[in-house]
Amino acid sequence: MDLDALGACLTTPACVVTQATSGLIVGMLLFLVAAGVTLIFGVLKIVNFAHGTFYMLGGYVAYSALGATDSYALAVLSATLAMALFGVVFERALMSRVYGSNVLMQLLVCYAVVLIFDDVVKIVWGPEFHAMGMPPAFQVPPLFIAGGVVPPFYAVLIVIAALIAIVLGLGLSMTRLGKTVRAAAINSQMVSALGINTTLLFAIVFAVGGGLAGLAGALAAPVRSLSPGMGFSILIESFIVTVIGGMGSIGGALVSALLIGMVRAFGTIGFPQFTDGLIYIVMIAILLLRPQGLFGRSP
Amino acid sequence: MKLEIRNLTKTFGGVRAIDDVSLDFPSGSLSAVIGPNGAGKSTFFNLISGAFPADTGQVLLDGDDVVRLSKTARMQRGIGRAFQVASCFPTMTVAENLTAAVTAHVGQWGNLSRRFPPPGVRERAGEVMELIGLSHVANVEAAILSHGDQKLLDIAIALALEPKVLLLDEPTAGMGPEERWRMIERVRGLWEQRKLTLIFIEHDMDIVFRIASTIRVLCYGRLLAEGTPEEIRNNQSVIDAYLGTEAHAE
Amino acid sequence: MKPHPASRDVVIAAVALIVVLAIPLFHRSPAFEDFIIRLSAMALFATSLNLPVGNTGMVSFGHGMFYGLGAYAFALMMQMTDLSLPVAAVLAVSITTLASFCVGAICVRLSTDYFAFITLAFQMLFYSVVISWQSLTGGDQGLRGGIPRREIFGFELSSQLHLYQFCSVVAVLGLLALRHVSTSPLGQTLRMIRDNEDRASFLGVVLWRARLLAFTIAGAFAGLGGVLAALFVSGAYPELADWPNSGQAIFAVMLGGINSFLGPALGAAILLALNDAVTRFTEYYGLVLGIVILAFAVGFRRGVLDFLRLAWPRSSK
Repeated sequence: MDLDALGACLTTPACVVTQATSGLIVGMLLFLVAAGVTLIFGVLKIVNFAHGTFYMLGGYVAYSALGATDSYALAVLSATLAMALFGVVFERALMSRVYGSNVLMQLLVCYAVVLIFDDVVKIVWGPEFHAMGMPPAFQVPPLFIAGGVVPPFYAVLIVIAALIAIVLGLGLSMTRLGKTVRAAAINSQMVSALGINTTLLFAIVFAVGGGLAGLAGALAAPVRSLSPGMGFSILIESFIVTVIGGMGSIGGALVSALLIGMVRAFGTIGFPQFTDGLIYIVMIAILLLRPQGLFGRSP
Repeated sequence: MKLEIRNLTKTFGGVRAIDDVSLDFPSGSLSAVIGPNGAGKSTFFNLISGAFPADTGQVLLDGDDVVRLSKTARMQRGIGRAFQVASCFPTMTVAENLTAAVTAHVGQWGNLSRRFPPPGVRERAGEVMELIGLSHVANVEAAILSHGDQKLLDIAIALALEPKVLLLDEPTAGMGPEERWRMIERVRGLWEQRKLTLIFIEHDMDIVFRIASTIRVLCYGRLLAEGTPEEIRNNQSVIDAYLGTEAHAE
Repeated sequence: MKPHPASRDVVIAAVALIVVLAIPLFHRSPAFEDFIIRLSAMALFATSLNLPVGNTGMVSFGHGMFYGLGAYAFALMMQMTDLSLPVAAVLAVSITTLASFCVGAICVRLSTDYFAFITLAFQMLFYSVVISWQSLTGGDQGLRGGIPRREIFGFELSSQLHLYQFCSVVAVLGLLALRHVSTSPLGQTLRMIRDNEDRASFLGVVLWRARLLAFTIAGAFAGLGGVLAALFVSGAYPELADWPNSGQAIFAVMLGGINSFLGPALGAAILLALNDAVTRFTEYYGLVLGIVILAFAVGFRRGVLDFLRLAWPRSSK
């Protein structure tokens, strides 16, 4: 524990800006993954334990696509689309077969997919860590805000994620599909009673969830290293985000993802040995005070 | 056991589901609660059994107000209920359903020191099974029982708790005409043998008029009328309410 | 005259134990003995998981935490103190029981919707503590240095045969105790909760209390399994408390049969055998295991013992 360092950082604008920026990108990436988890849970009442795999594969697809095309924009696009497709295939080929059965079966199917693709990644890309490196377009001098260092890529990443958050929020409140999704989150029987094509709805939800996770993986690739198993740690954190924010709430996911990001960024300075533990403590504290999560409806 | 309802009121989002209802159910009486759909009959039962709290009013059991007690506490005071959709334990056999219910009732549900069932429980469960006429399916899993037998099992689980007041929410729901009569005869038999204060919700007017000694009519959460079958049959407001909604529904 | 069911269980357990203990008298096979030692730990782990999961319908995805905690607590006590083995084992199980009580107290009151989430999060908290508290646990290298071999009742556990005998006895006694729990009134109450929690609470069952009991007992026996695992590996490794281990236990439960008491133990045996067979041919065990699980979940869908019980109904009752 190093509270002096934390205090020193909090009183230095440069340090605050640097840490807040890194907290923002952690939080935004987390939000993109958690939004899919919470959407899928809201509509299907399924906890998608394979969601981290979408993120991991998104990162690797972007890595290979950048190698092939030399265009980071294309890499991001292909990772997003590939994972949207992967989400649909996963839903249609596997999850849809265990909808009616025991929750444990659903858990097992996800567990199997995680195991399989961790090994597939090892076979295709090798077990070692890969660094994608900063795309050439962003290899420019960093911005300085109040003395804090902000790489331009970070700024772009934050803007993209914020735009996605706005589009998702608007989509859910304005469009017919969004309203259906929200209705399903409240009462799933009602939706099928209203004659909505649930097969299509479920596939779309998985496509959106998968696409967002793929996008997050592609955006994370330049700033984090790629490794098999990288999906699991973000999966756990996105679960924590979902639980803290309240199941099925996109707004809650955004707020709690940013909260976790900040806890991580400033926790690294104050509690370098125990940053992970800090997040769990935040989660437990919130759950004890508000079991339904910050933005969840009380049962 | 005597059940008295005093000024019971419950609102859901501004709508008065039960609106200032006062009723007496004398000890050992057999009464029917009728009313058009949405009249608040099931809500009325939920308020008596404590499935959710009333806004105001009293539920008196032999003069003691139980309206602030939990559903479990009310069950222990002697209010039993069966549900509109049969509520039992589907993966257990009929005998296991009842032994488990009796075990819970005698406060042994958390017991770790002996084998299930505790002594004496099997016998009591057997009695209930005999009484309700389910002994021939004792070793059949509840999930594969016929619809009628599932309703009976639900009532049997309620009976296993030795209620003094028994609330039956549409005991004949979803049954054919012949099965209905068998069911209601059994219910009447139970009432006689166990000296219960029995209240049931029913839509089949033939059954209601033939069985119940007193009939209470609820309409839009209010008590519209009460009396003997003869009085209800000739009550103009009941006829209006029923004919009105019937015509409306069709 | 039918034998009393409780004595029937004891007889079955005694016969099984005698058979297992007799095998080395006729034929010594280190591979087989290893297998039984590992199975005894894994069977306790999986069978204890079935109490919340199969009996009660609480999907716990963090059971590995208690397995790992049992192993670390035991190994650390053996290394750092002069306690005798049985005392250290009892203390380790007590610590695990206390931990599962605390975790359970937080989890069972929350919405059951995300029970799996939260139990998993607790497990990962424990895992991250194990990884980061290097000075105590050895971090990701695991706890090394071995477990001092102290003789107990004339047993010398560094001998494989004695370890084999010790683990078999502990596992059979542990399973017998779990069997007792599942056939007690509480066990029946847990099934009521699984089937219809509303009706159960109407009957006077205090849901959270019953769930907490189930969760705590399960944690205790997972801890006992962890003690055996620590004896086998002569230490403790973070993998014991990692999520794939919890996933394996869930698969063992499902594979063997969630509605049969011995199902999880059988599932654990099949899984261990599969592990041994596959790792001989390929390093990609996860890939093979994943495919096996998918084939099971999408195709077979029912545990082996449950399947047999349906094929010969009522033969087991």
